[in-house]
Order: sequence, then structure tokens, then C-alpha cells
Amino acid sequence: MAPVPTIQGAAGYKKKDGTFSIAQDQKSIQWQPVGARDAEKVVTIAVANITNLQQTPEAAAKVMLKIFEKPPDASESVTHLFHFNSPSNPRGEANAIKDALTNLISALKANDANTPKANGATSAAMAIASAVTSKPTSGPARWYDDAGLKTDIELQQSLMKKDPALHRTYMEARRTKPDIISDSQFNSQFWSTRTNILRAHAVESHQKRGAYNVLSAVKPRQVDGELKMNISAEQVQLIFSQHPLVKRVYDENVPKLNEMEFWSRFFLSRLFKKLKGERIVETDGTDPTFDRYLDASNDSGLDQRLLGLHIPNIIDLEGNEENQGGSRGGNRADFTMRPGSAAKVPIVRTLNSLSEKIMAHVAPSDVDPADPIGMDEETFNALALKDLQGDAAENRIMLNIKEQSQFFANEKSAVSAEAALYAKQVPSEVLAGLRSDVNPMSIGNGTGRGLDLSSAIGVLEESDSEDERKTAHVGSKASLVDAQKQILEGVKARRLEIDGSSAQTSLAGLSQKIFDRLTLTHATTTEFLHHFWTIFLSGDPDRAGELAKMVETLERAMDRINAVAADAEKERDQVIARTKQDILDIYQRTQKKTKWDPKSVAGGEKVVKEMMEPTTRAIQKAMKEYKKALAAEGIDTS
Amino acid sequence: MNAVDGSDHYEAAVEGPSPSLLVIVLDTNPHAWALLAPTLPLSKAIANILVFINAHLAVNNANQVAVVASHSHRAVWLYPRPPSSSSSEDVEMTNDQPPKLDDANKYRPFALIENSLLASLRDLISTTAEKDVATTSTTQMAGALTLALSYINKATVLYSDTTSSSKPATNAIDAPENTTGLQSRILVVSVSGDLAHQYIPIMNTTFAAQRLRIPIDILKLAGDTVFLQQASDTTKGIYMHLRSPQGLLQYLMMAFLPDQMARKHLVAPTQEVVDFRAACFCHRKVVDVGFVCSICLSIFCSPPEGAICLTCSTHLALGDYGAKPAVVPRKKKKKRRVNGGGGDTPSARGTPVPGE
Repeated sequence: MAPVPTIQGAAGYKKKDGTFSIAQDQKSIQWQPVGARDAEKVVTIAVANITNLQQTPEAAAKVMLKIFEKPPDASESVTHLFHFNSPSNPRGEANAIKDALTNLISALKANDANTPKANGATSAAMAIASAVTSKPTSGPARWYDDAGLKTDIELQQSLMKKDPALHRTYMEARRTKPDIISDSQFNSQFWSTRTNILRAHAVESHQKRGAYNVLSAVKPRQVDGELKMNISAEQVQLIFSQHPLVKRVYDENVPKLNEMEFWSRFFLSRLFKKLKGERIVETDGTDPTFDRYLDASNDSGLDQRLLGLHIPNIIDLEGNEENQGGSRGGNRADFTMRPGSAAKVPIVRTLNSLSEKIMAHVAPSDVDPADPIGMDEETFNALALKDLQGDAAENRIMLNIKEQSQFFANEKSAVSAEAALYAKQVPSEVLAGLRSDVNPMSIGNGTGRGLDLSSAIGVLEESDSEDERKTAHVGSKASLVDAQKQILEGVKARRLEIDGSSAQTSLAGLSQKIFDRLTLTHATTTEFLHHFWTIFLSGDPDRAGELAKMVETLERAMDRINAVAADAEKERDQVIARTKQDILDIYQRTQKKTKWDPKSVAGGEKVVKEMMEPTTRAIQKAMKEYKKALAAEGIDTS
Repeated sequence: MNAVDGSDHYEAAVEGPSPSLLVIVLDTNPHAWALLAPTLPLSKAIANILVFINAHLAVNNANQVAVVASHSHRAVWLYPRPPSSSSSEDVEMTNDQPPKLDDANKYRPFALIENSLLASLRDLISTTAEKDVATTSTTQMAGALTLALSYINKATVLYSDTTSSSKPATNAIDAPENTTGLQSRILVVSVSGDLAHQYIPIMNTTFAAQRLRIPIDILKLAGDTVFLQQASDTTKGIYMHLRSPQGLLQYLMMAFLPDQMARKHLVAPTQEVVDFRAACFCHRKVVDVGFVCSICLSIFCSPPEGAICLTCSTHLALGDYGAKPAVVPRKKKKKRRVNGGGGDTPSARGTPVPGE
């Protein structure tokens, strides 16, 4: 490390102005009040003792640096707050000092593994200090990195273990991939279309399960009057941390009782019920060992710790008590809210205190609002009553919509067939025809008796079909018959659609085995098609060779479909042969002929081809495009 | 006339099956009807539709009906008639004998509707100017559908108000699943094709109808419109393209008479293949594969000029698309040239390529 020039800045400490500087030997920092003569008022902090740095945000008006010092022999850390008040450039000075300090401390940490790790959180504290000024660059970025995900074999394995269908597709596709594509290339291609699944899986598997209410999770079973249970070492750990009382009981009793007996008796005891929050009834068995502790406190001093915290007034419920007349005014608190013995609503209280304990063990993801006032802008913002501050500036992205008719107007060339027909008509004739058509006389209600519907609809009762052939008119029998036919056709088609959705018919006569093979073939073909288009559209000349191989693979995919079709046909032939044999047998035994049409046997090649038709078309399309592109380059495709 | 629009039926609606409201959207595009006149003149079609309306009203005496005309330049109510136009009707009818509504041979509600419908249709045709017909060849289908939807909304609110005394108010808008309220449906009698320029408004009304569970039935006499197919498909209505328009009555009575309640138990004779394609916003072409703006979801048949969305002016990135498929072999050839020293010797597709 190059010698750092002495860094200093004007800073106030305990409301006195002074100078803040890093000593020449870089082992300590010191603050000297202005015009100080004696060394008494000089504050000196050894760099080795600094456990944490905090700085006000970049945007804040006040520039302050907070240094947490913890001498090796002290139990509590001391905080020093320096207020940089240089008239010219307080922020620059503070940043320079902070950066220098950060470097010094990390260098120290790297050199000396024995550095006292106060609270075991030194590095985390450092991270906070740098996070104040810059966004974290490392951390969970791992699963945002597509390339990283694609090469994380371990992750992919674990995902495939979870998703057998994906595993099958992967294996099949890898088996049938063209040889020229190496495993790793195939891998990255395969996963490049599935990075989203990988990311979800990575995030999911990296989530840590937090503590839970362990007592209710342990479920002892009564087998033959004996209590059986399984508790893991972790569960014991959790019980101890959640219920310090159990730890105490264990400590005091276990040498006398053996481990197994201790736990089995504990889970039967009244103490267990009490800790779990259940009501203790008279019939519960007594156990002198555990009953002694029934009234003992199960508190780990958490309440004391909570009381000692500074709670911002704005969220401090107790802070309001004096304003609303305390306990004398207003409605009485709900009985769950009243202070008092835990005996009243044991389950609520137990669960509440348990939740408190669990939460206390979770590292806060947000800024602790219990930090000293004035330290953190973010906390202040979080607590501010925003609705009192007027409307926030609108933060929207403007969407400028243009009138669509504008860009329709100039496109008269593409008119539909109907419009072309309409254009040929003379408007006046059109209108005249329409007018005479709806003329009262022609419709037939000019008589003043209203419309005679039975004649108006044109159905002629007496007409026989002979006459109608000459003049097809509205409501003619032929048209009505045709209409009926069309409607019934529609009904039939729809009925087929409704009935055809059952599981049996969805196989369309194929055996489950063939169908599964077909599904797999389809999946891999789709996979290869995907790869083909990715490469084809990438425009990357380096991948042209890969592309040619991919086309070969598609050709083979076609063969595979045909193979499945052939097998299906074979299967169908077998069914037909068997049935024929049956009929022959029956005939030989009983001389009875059974009518049977081989066409009634479903399945076979036809069904497979039908099912795969879209895929086949997709393959053909891909090949055609490829050949076209080749032909465009003057390369003979034959 | 307004007093007749079915409000006198409300009292009877308390018991029995729930009444249904049928809104018929009649496409009166003069061009299309003129083309269709040799096979099915408008007057005959109206007569057939009137029989259908009568049948609908006869099913339940609380059933209601409304008819909207989707004309070439505007959408007009045919029945119930808007109050303002009723006065002009009186003036026009003076040269004819005033219709006798008390004809003993005709059920009065039938006569009322028939009279009003014909009168307003004549009105509409007589007020259509030549230049209206000349300037446009399409029909205001989107407007007519909107009118129909708003009428249905009004009728539903009115119905649930009047019946709220006897049963809990069921608003079809709040509880689309309800089976007790007014059952509304829309029947579009369409004769003209080419609605691509109304793609967006029609799809909007379609989705509104879908939300309100109002089926839109399409009876297609002529022409073909992709979007009406989609409208009936999304709203679970019936789409029929008539093979023989002269059998209109048969179609109406067999396929379109049952209301939603009855249809649950019937197999509807709808066309099973639906064309789901959309129209591009730039050339009104119905497209198979298109480009969609990621901001405003506008559809284009080809990437707009400079990759700037025509509708919202957003600059769009086309990703790898710029690499046209044909590029690959060309570059491949280039590469071969580099490797092979400038010859296009490779002739077959399977030629081994240096590299991978």
C-alpha cells in the first residue's frame, strides 16, 4: 500500500469544532479541538478497534461519520459521531477519510486473522459502511447472470431431479443430438431457452428456512402406551434457543435422567403444555421434576432488551398513552392486550412471545428503526406521514396515442373483396332499390291491417317441390331443408368436440406406450426446432456449421416420427389380426359369422401422422427456409 | 312508445323462469343489401326476423326485445324508437292510413313492435342521403354493439330495481354468475364484410360483453369478418355463416331462439373453427404472424419504419430480428471464402464446415 498522505478534515465533535485526521502511522485516527493546548481533549481511536462505520447518505445536508469503537477489553462499543463542517467541501473530506479508513480496516483484517470480530459482524458492518455510498455490486447477483446459470451444472442437475419430465426431455434430446455439437454446447443451448426456470430454481434453493415454532412441530406418537418421537439435533437446538427454560431444566436434570427419558417425559409434562400455550387440565399427569419449573420464567431477557431499545415516537404505541388519558380514558383494552398473567389467554401470549423471539433472531432486512434518532434518512422517510405532504409529482411514462384512422386513411389499396363489389354499385340505384323494398305497399302493410307475416316470410304452404326448383325464393322448402342440414352438421361437429375430450379418446386408439414415445419424440423435435431457429435467425456465420448439423438432426427427427408411426401401425395390425383370429375361432366353434370392420380399429400410422402434422409441417417449413436461404446464396441444394 | 318497451311486463317477472332480453343488431348496409337483394331482399329478411322476435316474445311474457340498426354512417335505434323521432313519424304516416294496432287477429305487443320497427326502418332508409351511401361501404357495427350493450346495462339495472322488492337485488354487472336476473344476449345479423378498420372498438365491446357474460350471436348472411367470429367465440355465442340465406327463418328458429339458460342444456350449432387472427394497425391486413408493440400492444404486419411504433411513438428494439434468416448462409459463404481461399466450391448442404 502506498503511503497515504495525511488525510484530514474539519469536523465537529460533541459540539466543538476541531480537526479530524488519520495519524501518520495509520494505526489510529484522532480529533483535535481547535486551539487545544493539552492532549486531554484529543480523541484518539485505534484503527484496530473500529468495528463499524456509518455515514449519512450522499444527499443529506449534514455530513456525519459515525465510528464504532470497541477496545479489546471493553464489552460495549463506544460510538463517536463526527460532524464534518468544513465550509468548503465537507462531503469530500468525509468521503476521503471514510475511504481511507475502510482501506485501512480491510487491510488490517486481511493481515490479522485474530482481529477481534466484535459481534461476529465486522465484515457485515463494513458492507453497510460502503453500502451507504454505493449500490452493492456483489451479493445475489449470481442468479441474475444468465451465462452463470447456463454453466451451473449442479443447479441444472438439481432442477432436473425435481422435474422428471424435463429430465426425460433433456436425456432424449442429448441422446439424439448431432455428434458435432459437443455436450457443453448442447447444454448451453438447451438451457439458454430455460434460464427463467433455472433462475427460479436457484432463488428457491438459496432461500434459507427460518426458525419455526418447534414445539408444535414435534409430534410425539403414542405406540402401545409408549411415547415415540423423532427429534433431530436441530430441533433440540431450536427448542433451547426458543425456550431458555427448557435449556435450564435440561442443564439441571440431565445428568440424573438419561437423555431419552428427559425428552419423553418432557413432552408429556404440564410444562410442555404450558410452553406450547395449551390449557393445563386436572387430568394431565404430574411430574415432579418438571412441575417444579411451571412458574419459572421462560424469558431470555428479551423484554428487557426490547425496553432498552429506542423506539421512534411515531410508531411507539405507548408514547400516546399520556395523550389519550392513559388507562383511565377510552374503552378498556381488549383482554388480549391487557398486561397480566399468561394464564388468561395462554395460546395468544405464547404465540406472540414466540413470534417475538423468532423475529429477534432474524437479521433485519430493513434499517433498524431503533437506531439513534437523526442517523438515517431512510428511516425518517419510512416514518414520515406522506399523506400530509401534498401530492407527489406524477411519475408516469407518457403514452402518446396517435389517431389510428390517420394511418388507415392512406391505405385504400388493400380493400376486401366485398368492398370491391360495393364500389361497383351505383349509390342512387342502391338507395332506390332499398327504398322500394321497404315501401309499405311492397311489404304489404299498406292495407292498414298491418303486416301479414305469414305471406311476408315467403313460405308457401301449397307449393310442392317441383315448382320450387324453378324459382328459388325466400323460405322455399329447399332452402329450409339445407338450413336444417347445416345446423345439424354444426350440432354434430360440436357434439363430437364435447364428447371427444375424455381421456380414453385422447389417445385415439394408440397404446399408452406408443403415445408416451410420441410425446417424447414431439418434445425433442420441438427442442431441436427451437435450437434450429435460434441459430438460423442469429445471423452468426460462426454457427453455420452447427446449423447444417441441426438440419440433419431435424431430418432424423422426421425419421423418428415415421418410426413411431410404423410401430403404431404394427400395433394396429396386431390388434386387427387378433380380432380376426377371434372371429375365426368363434366361427369354427359356433358356425356364426360375426360382422366386423377392420376400419373400426383406431390408432395406427394415420393417427400418429395426424397428431404430428403440425410438427411435421414445422420441420418442413424449417427445411424449406434453410434450403431457400442456401439457394439464395447460389448453393445447390439437391 | 317508450312506455311499451316492455316495462309493463315487469310485474309478471317475479315468478317462473327469468326473462331474457334479446338485442338484435341489424346490419343495414345499403351496399350489402343491394347485392343480396336477388336472393334475400331486406323486406323479407325483416319479415323473417319479425317472426323470430314474436317467437322470442312468446316464450315468456316478460321477455324483451330491442333492435339496433348498424347503418352505413351511423347506428340507429329501430325499436324501441327514440322519443325524438316519434313525432316525425306521425307526420310521415299521415298519407298512409294510421296503423291499426287493435287488429283482433294480431297479438298487440307483436303489432306494436312490428309497426315501430317498420316505421323506423323506413325512416332510416328515407333519410339516408346518396352521398352517405357513396362515401362509405362499411357499417357502424362497433357503434351498434355499443348501443346494444348500454341498453342491456340499463335494462338490467331497471329489472333488478323493479324486482328488488320480492327478491334480493341481483345486478348482472356485480354478479355475472347470477341466473335469476335478466338474461341478455345480442344477435348480430351481419351482411357486410370488411370491418378491419373497426377492429379495436369491436374487440373492446367484445370484451365488455364477455365480462358481463352476454353472448354475442352472429348470423352471417353475406361477407366474412374475422372479428365477429372472435366476438362470438370469446362471448360463447353462436356463429353461423348461412349456406342458404333463403332459409333464414329456419336458422333463426333452430339455432338462435334458445336463451342462455336453455343453451346450457343444448349443443349449440356453432362453427367450430374460429379465425383468431388480428388485423395489423398499419395496413389493416389480417395477419398470421405480426409484430406487437411492447408498450401499447399495437399490431403490425411488418416492423414499422425505424422501429418506431406508429401508435405510441415508442422506439422499439427489435433484438436479433434484424439478422434476416438469409444472412446466415451468406455469411457462411463469406467464411468459407476466408477459409477456402475464395472459391464457392462447396455445393452440397452437408459439406463439412471448418470450425464447429
